[in-house]
Amino acid sequence: MSADTLLSIENLTVKFGGLTAIKDLSFQVEKGRIHALIGPNGAGKSTTFNCVSRYYNPTSGRVSFNGNDITHRPAHDIAGLGIARTFQNLELFNELTVMDNVLLGTYTHGARSVLKRLQRPDGETRDFAESLLERVGLLEYRHYRANGLDFGRQKMLELARALAIKPTLLLLDEPAAGLRNREIDSLDRILTELVARDGVTVLLVEHVMQLVMAISQRITVMSFGEKIAEGTPAEIRCNERVIEAYLGKGEGND
Amino acid sequence: MTTTIDKVLLLACAAILCVLPFFVSGYVLFIVNLLMVYVVLALGLHIALGETGQFALAHIAFYGIGIYTAGIINSTWQVNVVISILAGALLAGAVGYILGALAIRMRDIYLALSTFAFGEAMQWVFLNWVSVTNGSDGYRLSPSHFFGYEFTSDVRAYPFVVVVTALILWLTVHLSRSQLGSAFRAVRESDVAAQAMGVNVNVTKRVAFMLSAAYAGLAGGLYTTFSSFIHPDSLGFQATVLILIMVVVGGIGSVRGAIAGAIIFGLISELLRQVLSFQEIIYGAILILFMMFAPKGLFGEARYAKIPIAKKTAGAAQDENNAVEHKA
Repeated sequence: MSADTLLSIENLTVKFGGLTAIKDLSFQVEKGRIHALIGPNGAGKSTTFNCVSRYYNPTSGRVSFNGNDITHRPAHDIAGLGIARTFQNLELFNELTVMDNVLLGTYTHGARSVLKRLQRPDGETRDFAESLLERVGLLEYRHYRANGLDFGRQKMLELARALAIKPTLLLLDEPAAGLRNREIDSLDRILTELVARDGVTVLLVEHVMQLVMAISQRITVMSFGEKIAEGTPAEIRCNERVIEAYLGKGEGND
Repeated sequence: MTTTIDKVLLLACAAILCVLPFFVSGYVLFIVNLLMVYVVLALGLHIALGETGQFALAHIAFYGIGIYTAGIINSTWQVNVVISILAGALLAGAVGYILGALAIRMRDIYLALSTFAFGEAMQWVFLNWVSVTNGSDGYRLSPSHFFGYEFTSDVRAYPFVVVVTALILWLTVHLSRSQLGSAFRAVRESDVAAQAMGVNVNVTKRVAFMLSAAYAGLAGGLYTTFSSFIHPDSLGFQATVLILIMVVVGGIGSVRGAIAGAIIFGLISELLRQVLSFQEIIYGAILILFMMFAPKGLFGEARYAKIPIAKKTAGAAQDENNAVEHKA
């Protein structure tokens, strides 16, 4: 493990009853990179993801973040460590406003005293939340109920809420799924800017190859719970096993 | 805008409550005192059910704990009523925390059933722990005092009850706007997402249970300041249903709703005191009508009808239409 490694997955195995969802998976995500995790449906990408965000308990193996073992940390500790996530099938606080959704992302900021919990978020925090809404283009919707937004904007809201955590590692589970081309372009722009300007590291699970190939520096390919390839987009593009796994779909374009 | 209406309403209520003792009989003040107790009870249930989304049906058990604790302390040590009320609230809160720690493993109907069972068990305790509660003969509450001022009648207790209720209302609103209040609602909306935001879901639920129970215990303590008698029969499931209806018909999740529900159903229950069986039919009918025609309750809609910003682009206006359709 090099000094630049932010997230390290070592020999991860996850079994659900008799089914092995992930088998002996290892890979590293380096700081300041966009690292994509791709593979056909059922390859175990989301399961890997849910182990990192501590939603699932791996059967064996180790997940470490910044050199610290987080394999058995409770799920609510993860945000405080600087790991934020979005969900494959939106998990917004539906009946709260757009603003309140983002403000909840700031829950772990600052001192975590009882006294602070009994106060409302201060002006600085609200400004910060508004700046994030502006960044994803939702500032004018801040008083809307979250489920009053259309699907694309709900996805952007999830992103803004995750950014409110001020993460060093951002886990994105299919952020582009269901988005229109124009929205994918702006997602592309936001993510690239995040890495370049804020030094955020991104682990991305995605099916939209247009986005994956355009923004990621490194790609790990999974199939049936195992890693079958890893490399730069150019290397992955012409990897035979990858092409095979995608059943002759050429470069894997959906 | 709604906050302006709230302020006007609050001032009007405060004015009415201030002049009321000069114009009405002791009986009316007894009713008002009782309504205040209902308001505190409903606000307590609002924290567990409305804010945190936990269907807990043991509320009246905590009310009972508050009444007996404060009552027994008053008659044994004749301490300041503040101490006896706080003792009742603390004990109820502690029991609520323990019940919460056990019950949060369950959700929805299982949570409702287990907390219902706890409520029934507590009523049994009130009935059968004769050496402490005097069992089915009922417990006589002796007058309490507040820095030497004796609560010997409804009129004398009235200012104290009103001020404490106002403080509780202020506390509830403050709590709702705090980070803890946000955490409560986050747990209600999605516990998976709440966890991802760093909210410890189990601790948050336990705290909600504890606060909810402490409110009920405090309501019980308030009851002892103007009432002279408590019987376990009035601490059963029927009373729990009454509080539940207050919150549901008022509008789950709304402070205004909880207060309006407490006042409306408190009055109905008092007006129909002579015809108990008829009372339940009326409650049932009102509940069915609300579930059919206004499932969000009287004020539930207020939570949804967040007024979008005044200045909007064409795109935003379009989306607003979508949002409205979505609601319908």
